[in-house]
Amino acid sequence: MSTNVSATPNSTSSVKWARVKRRLSRDWQLYIFVLPGLIYYIVFHYFPLYGIQIAFKDYKAVLGINGSEWVGLEHFKTFFTSYMSWTLIKNTLLLNLYALLWSFPLPIILSLLLNRVGSAKFKKFTQTVIYVPHFVSTVVLAGMLYIFLDPTNGFVNILISALGGTPQYFMAEPQWFRTVFIGSAVWQNSGWGTIIYIAALTSVDQELYESARIDGASILKQIIYIDLPTIIPMAMMMLILNSGSIMNGNMQKTLLLQTAGNKATSNTIGVYVYTMGLTNAQFSYTAAIGLFQNVISFIMVMTVNKITKEASSISMF
Amino acid sequence: MAKEKHGSAIKLSRSDQIFTVCNYIFWAFILLIVIYPLYLIVISSVSDPYAVLNGEVLLYPVDFSWIGYEKIMNYGTLWRSYGWAVVYTVVGTAIGIFFTMLMAYALSNQFIGKGIVNFMIVFTMFFSGGLIPTFLVMRDIGLYNNPLIMVLMGAMSVWNTMIARTYMTTSIPRELYEAASIDGADHFRYFFRIVLPLSGTIVAVLSVYYAVAKWNDYFTAMVYLRDNSYWPLQTVLRQILASLTVSAGDVAEMFADDYTDVAETLRVSNVVKYCAIIISTVPAVILYLFMQEYFVKGVMIGSVKG
Repeated sequence: MSTNVSATPNSTSSVKWARVKRRLSRDWQLYIFVLPGLIYYIVFHYFPLYGIQIAFKDYKAVLGINGSEWVGLEHFKTFFTSYMSWTLIKNTLLLNLYALLWSFPLPIILSLLLNRVGSAKFKKFTQTVIYVPHFVSTVVLAGMLYIFLDPTNGFVNILISALGGTPQYFMAEPQWFRTVFIGSAVWQNSGWGTIIYIAALTSVDQELYESARIDGASILKQIIYIDLPTIIPMAMMMLILNSGSIMNGNMQKTLLLQTAGNKATSNTIGVYVYTMGLTNAQFSYTAAIGLFQNVISFIMVMTVNKITKEASSISMF
Repeated sequence: MAKEKHGSAIKLSRSDQIFTVCNYIFWAFILLIVIYPLYLIVISSVSDPYAVLNGEVLLYPVDFSWIGYEKIMNYGTLWRSYGWAVVYTVVGTAIGIFFTMLMAYALSNQFIGKGIVNFMIVFTMFFSGGLIPTFLVMRDIGLYNNPLIMVLMGAMSVWNTMIARTYMTTSIPRELYEAASIDGADHFRYFFRIVLPLSGTIVAVLSVYYAVAKWNDYFTAMVYLRDNSYWPLQTVLRQILASLTVSAGDVAEMFADDYTDVAETLRVSNVVKYCAIIISTVPAVILYLFMQEYFVKGVMIGSVKG
């Protein structure tokens, strides 16, 4: 506290200052450790936060972020009164809400069941296999979907034909977009999602299972009364962390799976910001939409955090 | 941690037997769903293009052929992007690990202002500038169309920093520092001589997390690199894979030496897609298989903090 340094310091503040000085001279090296990371966060995260002001300005490249003229809430008005906005918001919410409804519970169920596989070898093998899709890139996943869902020679449609159904244009029809998106996300991420729950389940005291067995509790009962309570805190944390994605998630994959045919459902806020902002250079307008998205996400995370805190005293902050 | 089999000692009740059998059947089914698409890619990449196009390749390779791999060898753009992907991954991972370890070490100590630094880092997890403001800032500071963006953007992750910090506070005894400082070691010497050599596990965890993220990133280059001669593999792959049609230019390049029969060319270019998937995914999967145990460790460390 530099304010404590004066010509005639009183005794307490000078003692305090002396202590601060001693700590600084002892720990100065730690500030050098912090420096590279701090600069990274400032440049790549806090400069852009400062740049958000263009959402309230009419950004002109020659005037720059600081020099452009303020226009208040005009861009927000334009967005909310445009005929697109409702469709974009609806597409974004539905896609991410459905995605969360599948991606949140499935890893929990899978890990509870995998934990009950008796053979250690089979369990290890299964774990190894179900983590693999996580290492497939989003681009390759999208590529696989285009190949497998091809209306004439994709294996999914071959299977459908063989079973007597009609082949579907999965990638080119709006009614299939969410199914394709979420189905592939389940394939790619459910296995990987079990990893933290499996880790948590190893902490269960084995004697607990012993005594449960002696008391005649079935495996199902043990899962419900021993395993599930063990992983609930972890599950709540995941729910809090993922709740922000309802408004903000999955943009990069949506961009890859969007085709001219499925736009009616695949056009989400994120993709719209990308195309309008970077392809059509409407920087201020799309920055405003992005800000709206971020604020909603932030509110979501804080709200879910508060709810889980009230309901189960589990929270992040 | 000792892990024993459930129910091995005591005879299972009837309902538990049913449960166990159903559980195994369930997992066999899951394994099939996970493996089959990957297996299909592999067998298609080594099958005759006609058989693949006619949908005959479903269970095993048909008329075994390397033609897709032979064609992809000529695909200069793809291999250049492969080279860039390696460069971006190696450099980006090195920077990420270095910055993360330094920051984590500082945060595992007490110093004035630690709370502020901690808050500044965690806050970025929940609120960001968004795509457009970030883009404009990067353009202003000269990182647009600059390959440096590929190693700097996303260099550190908050989550990884927290894992590394937790590792240092829980796995490296505080007494080591006391002892070292009595011997006259300062933070620098202590960090490089003692902390880093004891952090093999966490460095392995971080390297896999960072490397896979870098290797699989297509989006950064798409946004920030106008000049596609700097593009990494995934961004180039997007053009080949993630569209309903292959562009004529790509096909022409693949078949530079014998671009005569158009039908033949398009037919083979289909198999090239499978080969491209294989050569781009194999490095990540191999890294995963070798480093598997570290993933689980990383998650364990992460969950200690809760």
